[in-house]
Formats: sequence, C-alpha cells, structure tokens
Amino acid sequence: MGREVSESCVDSLLTEMVSMYCNRLYANKPELAASRIDAIGYQVGHQLSERYTMERPRFTDHLDAIKFICKDFWSELFKKQIDNLKTNHRGTFVLQDNRFRWVSRMSLDPSENGDLSQENAEAAENKAAQEPNMHLHFSCGVIKGALHNLGIACAVSADPSHLPACSFVVRIKP
Amino acid sequence: MIVCVAVVGHQNNPLYIQSFTDADDSLKLRHIVHCSLDVVDERVNNPKKSGPTLNETFLGLLYPTENYKVYGYLTNTKVKFILVTTDLDVKDADVRNFFRRFHAAYVDAISNPFHEPGKKITSKTFAERVSTIVKSFGMSSTR
Repeated sequence: MGREVSESCVDSLLTEMVSMYCNRLYANKPELAASRIDAIGYQVGHQLSERYTMERPRFTDHLDAIKFICKDFWSELFKKQIDNLKTNHRGTFVLQDNRFRWVSRMSLDPSENGDLSQENAEAAENKAAQEPNMHLHFSCGVIKGALHNLGIACAVSADPSHLPACSFVVRIKP
Repeated sequence: MIVCVAVVGHQNNPLYIQSFTDADDSLKLRHIVHCSLDVVDERVNNPKKSGPTLNETFLGLLYPTENYKVYGYLTNTKVKFILVTTDLDVKDADVRNFFRRFHAAYVDAISNPFHEPGKKITSKTFAERVSTIVKSFGMSSTR
C-alpha cells in the first residue's frame, strides 16, 4: 500500500471507460452500456467501502451508514463532503453535491460538437446530454455497491439537471 | 500458539480457513469455527447491557473449549474473523493488534479486481501475509 496515481489519470480512465462502453461496445444500446457501467461502479464501491470502514465501529442504523457515505466515504473519494443531505424519514435520502468532481471538467455546451445543421444539432445535444449521464451511472453504482456491502439494499439514481451540482437519490428497499 | 484463522462472509460462507498445526485435526477446527459463528450472532443480536461495547468490531473471547480459546472480530461489512489459539495467557492487546493487521491484509486481498466477492480468497500474497502475522503473534506473546 502507498502507491498513488494522479487524479488526472483517474479522470482519463473514467472518460475512456464511458466512451468505450457507449461508442464501441454497446454503440446502439445505451441502456446496456449504462447497466454495465453501473455494475463496474458497484464492484468499485463494494471494495472501497470495505477499505474505508476498516477502523470504524459498526453502524447502528441506516442513517448512520448514509452519514458515513456523506462524510468519510465522499471525502476519501472527492476530498470534500456531501453538501446537503435530505430525507423523508421513510427510506429515501437525497445527497446533494454542489460541485461533483467527476463532471466538473466536462463540457456541457452541445454546440461545441462541431455540426451546426438543424437535425445534427439535436442529435449532438442528445449525445452531449448522454455523456455526463453515463458518468453519473458509474457514481450511482459506487454508492450502491458501498451501501450493499454495509447491508443496505437500495436503488440509487442521479439527477443531472443542474450540472456541475448533482443530487443522488437513494431509495432503501424495505 | 495460533492453530487456526478463518474468514467468514456475511452469509456465513467460508472465505478463508487456514490451520497452522501439523496434526490432522482440520475437521475439528472447522467444527469449532462453525460453532463460534453462532456465538458471534448471539453477541450481535442480544447486546449486553453495557453500551460502549455494542458497536465495537472486536468481540473478544467467544468461548473457551477444553484446549482452545476462540476470539472473534466482526467488521462493518458483516465479515467475521475467527481466531483459534491454544495459548493460555493471551493478552487482549495482542489479539486486537492481530485482528487489526489481519483486517488490513483482508482489505488488500478483497481490493484485487480479479477477486469475486463471496468466493474463497485464493491469493498467495494474502496467505503469506497471514502466516507472517501468525508467526509474529507467537513471538510477541512469549515474553
């Protein structure tokens, strides 16, 4: 232990992974690409949660585990904590990060894709909207894998409407 | 002297079991590990009145049999480490130290991307690290 890589390597790896799954492996099936990326994130989250819960005492309930995700887990991954946590006290949590690190450097402007003709502009806009969505699938998988390892079965989805701010909705299965 | 260490997953499936004696009583050791899982479950589900020990990972002496002492450790991810030893005077701090190092080795083995969660740990590096930790446990407690 003790070997580290620079953050730009991680960024490049994620970008290339998303691009490979979306453009080469499952080019016309974005749902399959999304679920594969989610599965990769799941395994990563599973293993990371094992490492980051090492020295801690056990969690007493779901809220404790979610708070661990918001504070310790997020600061290990992104060097900051979740900015806002909301819950309806019935098993749904919304984790809001005002500047999500993995999409903070992505271009969100669809007109940068070159083609300016009418129908291509629409397709380009759809494609540009898809790219950060695919990255968010990976992050949802990481959260889901971490929570599953702590014994909490849940479904995680991301709300990309105000990038780079990002909300993750965690619904705990009863 | 440590005779056996075991890692048991959250569905009570064995992930790693290794005995360190020459005698051929691995079946008896497996039986001891199996029985100790019940004690772990009982400790977790029926907490004693003492609050501070409720959420600790180190469970302490699970039960003493005629020759062996069995110690348990439960991680946040419901993975159990079981340690069977024949030592008569084992210091609490030594066992805690052992479990800490064992947990670190386990986390490194789990982080292997080729390891499938729920399957047995087949890493030789993990086996070597465990035997190093086991040997050094013997050294420090014979003072």
